[in-house]
Amino acid sequence: MIGIKSYGAYLPKYLMPRELIAKAWDFPAVPGTKAIASVDEDSLTMAVEAGLDCLSGIDPKSIDGLYFASTTQVYTEKDSASFIATVLDMREDIITIDFTDSLKAATTALARAMDTIKANKDISSILIIASDTREAEPATMYEFGYADGAAALLVSEGENLPIVIDDYYSISANVTGPWKRAKEDSFVRTFEAKMDNQFYTQSITRVMSEIMKRNNLNPEDIDVAAYYYNNPRTHGRISKRMKFNQGVAQNGLFFQVGDLGTPMSFMLLVSAMKRPKEEAKIILAGFGDGADAILMHVQDRRALRELSKNHMGIAGHQKSMTTLKNYNVYIESKKLLEKDRYVRKSSAVTLWRDTLTVYKMYGNRCKSCGTVQYPSTFRSCIVCRADDQMELVKLALKGKIFTYTLDHLVGGTYLNTPVPRCVIDLDGGGRVLLNMTEIENPEDNVKIGMEVELTFRKEHEGADFKNYYWKCRPIRGRF
Amino acid sequence: MSTNKREILNEVEKLAVKGIKDKVAIIGCDATKYGELWDKGREDLLFEATQGALKDAGIKKEEIEAAWAGIYYYFTGMSGATVEDILRLDGIPITRVENYCASGMDAFRNACFGVVSGAYDVVLACGVEKLMDEGSSGLPGFKIFGHPVLPLPSAPAMFSMAATRCFHEFGWTKEDLARVAVKNHDNGSYHPKAHFRSKITIEQAMKAPMIADPLGRFDCCAMSDGAASLILTRPDLAESYAHADDYIVVKSNQISVRTNFPWYVPPNGPGADFTSFPSTVKAAKMAYKEAGISNPRKEIEAAEVHDCFTITELINDQDLQFCDRGMAAEELKNGTFNWDGETAINPSGGLKSFGHPIGSTGCRMLQEITKQLQGRAEGRQVPDAKIGLCHNLGGAFSVASVTILGQRD
Repeated sequence: MIGIKSYGAYLPKYLMPRELIAKAWDFPAVPGTKAIASVDEDSLTMAVEAGLDCLSGIDPKSIDGLYFASTTQVYTEKDSASFIATVLDMREDIITIDFTDSLKAATTALARAMDTIKANKDISSILIIASDTREAEPATMYEFGYADGAAALLVSEGENLPIVIDDYYSISANVTGPWKRAKEDSFVRTFEAKMDNQFYTQSITRVMSEIMKRNNLNPEDIDVAAYYYNNPRTHGRISKRMKFNQGVAQNGLFFQVGDLGTPMSFMLLVSAMKRPKEEAKIILAGFGDGADAILMHVQDRRALRELSKNHMGIAGHQKSMTTLKNYNVYIESKKLLEKDRYVRKSSAVTLWRDTLTVYKMYGNRCKSCGTVQYPSTFRSCIVCRADDQMELVKLALKGKIFTYTLDHLVGGTYLNTPVPRCVIDLDGGGRVLLNMTEIENPEDNVKIGMEVELTFRKEHEGADFKNYYWKCRPIRGRF
Repeated sequence: MSTNKREILNEVEKLAVKGIKDKVAIIGCDATKYGELWDKGREDLLFEATQGALKDAGIKKEEIEAAWAGIYYYFTGMSGATVEDILRLDGIPITRVENYCASGMDAFRNACFGVVSGAYDVVLACGVEKLMDEGSSGLPGFKIFGHPVLPLPSAPAMFSMAATRCFHEFGWTKEDLARVAVKNHDNGSYHPKAHFRSKITIEQAMKAPMIADPLGRFDCCAMSDGAASLILTRPDLAESYAHADDYIVVKSNQISVRTNFPWYVPPNGPGADFTSFPSTVKAAKMAYKEAGISNPRKEIEAAEVHDCFTITELINDQDLQFCDRGMAAEELKNGTFNWDGETAINPSGGLKSFGHPIGSTGCRMLQEITKQLQGRAEGRQVPDAKIGLCHNLGGAFSVASVTILGQRD
């Protein structure tokens, strides 16, 4: 059997009230909020977060592949999946693929993961992560919807899986919109939104109806329908047309977190898995130049409840989300303001050579005196001075602040300051220096002894590529 | 080890050139005015300081046989050739020395070895830095130093992390830091060559904008341009130069080098507490041993102590054994470190008000203490100064140098 062994989600720290967007442009007020990535986040860093959540309690080295789905991948020529797999400390003998360019990339990746596992006896589990940070053009209606987030599903072969995948079905359609030209466009465009909506409704309805027909299922047999949507009204219309029972079509996310893009359908599934019904029949559907439907059922309710206890999922993130108080912060976080940014010298080669230290957060343990130390690049022990007695250790992504400062000078200039620089004793050993992100009023809130979590973030774009490293943040509750 | 072998080794130790105590004499020195010297280049600065030192020694530049120059930044100059272009020393050996803020004092150390080894009779130790051409807000270069992504805090941030810990451990406050600034600005106001020559109040210091919490603007030393030069020879030769009666003798000179990354030192490693600089502790210990000093507080009258930030001076006061651990703030408040206190700390005004052109500072301190011991520190003379100390701490608490100077016999 193939099914879903684990899930994870990531919602960024900040919520943008739609009311502020309306106010900024003198639009009629729109209710609700949407999730907004911080200035140091992108689809790749959010994917790492969702991946970490999904792999809580699971050895990353036990997984045979990583499929990444996004329309906002950070490179067009350079894999995101292999980079994310590196940061998640997965093996090297795995398959990594980016599924891009369509909002249904997540469901497509899930179906392809099924195929891969079925076809290859050496591959029994694949991690699928969908992540998007779509930028809406300011002062358009899209600004109310487009939101940021990531979700992950671990697809695996085996018995006793919480959710079993029964079937999948896809259609392809060359729709009228939306689109984003590879070179010319900064924002997603469309020609006729009404026509787009019609295509969307037709595709989603057709793909769900077909998979039900193939499996001799009636509307009342379906317990959970998690299908992509970007408009609550259309979502309701589809539910009605499908004749789903009340509460089956998942519609809880848009109002609070917005249209998350590729991870939307996964997120809807994750949110529905908190209180699963025994044997619940689930349809997951994605849309974008066609549509995918995936039919599943709950096999082990107890295992599913365990998952919800040991993973942040959606609720775990929502607890620590903060509402933005002004539109400027949002527009700045989206880098839509012309502004000097911190850039420093970099070297792709240094970063590659230091993969263990920089990306995987490995330190050394001295076999002579037992001291755990960071970074892992030094070969002589700083405590007992023994030479070449080091063994690699994976450091914890959690710790306590030993000392700190709030630095107003970054690279010799005052840019987005102050930056809390924190000396952190990681749980289980290793002392590191990390900048803190997503902290309000650091003067009052950063303290010696404060507990922090590590989070993978974008640092700068020196040498014209993306330079990433870990930062710390106040605890959001990652397991 | 056999008794015989041990005896031989003991004998060798007695004969060996261990240390430089009483083997080097300072016969001439000078420094330029420090400050935002927009109209002067490194060419003017090093030229003027060296001309001053030559004049002080009463010698011509042709007598210099070798030179070492403390230059920190690549934009001030690379290699000894930078010095040759400015001084035109006709092809003698010249070496640029870089060791963070101890660059100047390390140049002096190398020059001492040149003399002590017998290789040269008369040598030049100098330092120069031209910072202002890179702009005046914060040390330049932080965008090109080091690793592409491992965090590199600004200099004030590095020392702030020590301040945070000292506040936590010793109960020190912003006001304790402000007192360092007030004292050093007060001292600097009497020095005609100091960058800042105005006195400040505790309130002024405490109200200044933050640079790296808890360090505000008045907790940070100035970014300055400047140069300093010293002429060295052997004491027996010093008798035949201008300062035959009052040349100054090097009692000891030691440096200690530790990690670039104190923030990675695990809790059981050296310096992990952030309330002491292990490099200063070690350099001081070695220097006192070499000079034969057992009670620094009683035996040293004047000290130029590295005060790149107010917190740096307080911690160094302890690490240099001028007071007990945790007591520096209290001692300062009681006047121990005042110009007329038990040990005058930074009678020149220190880096805080005199200024800190990195590569130059060590040599500037040495010429300052030389003049104090010679009774030539007009307007700021520490009474009865017989033994003086100079100290630098560079990098992220990484490099400490301690030099002890004394009057001739």
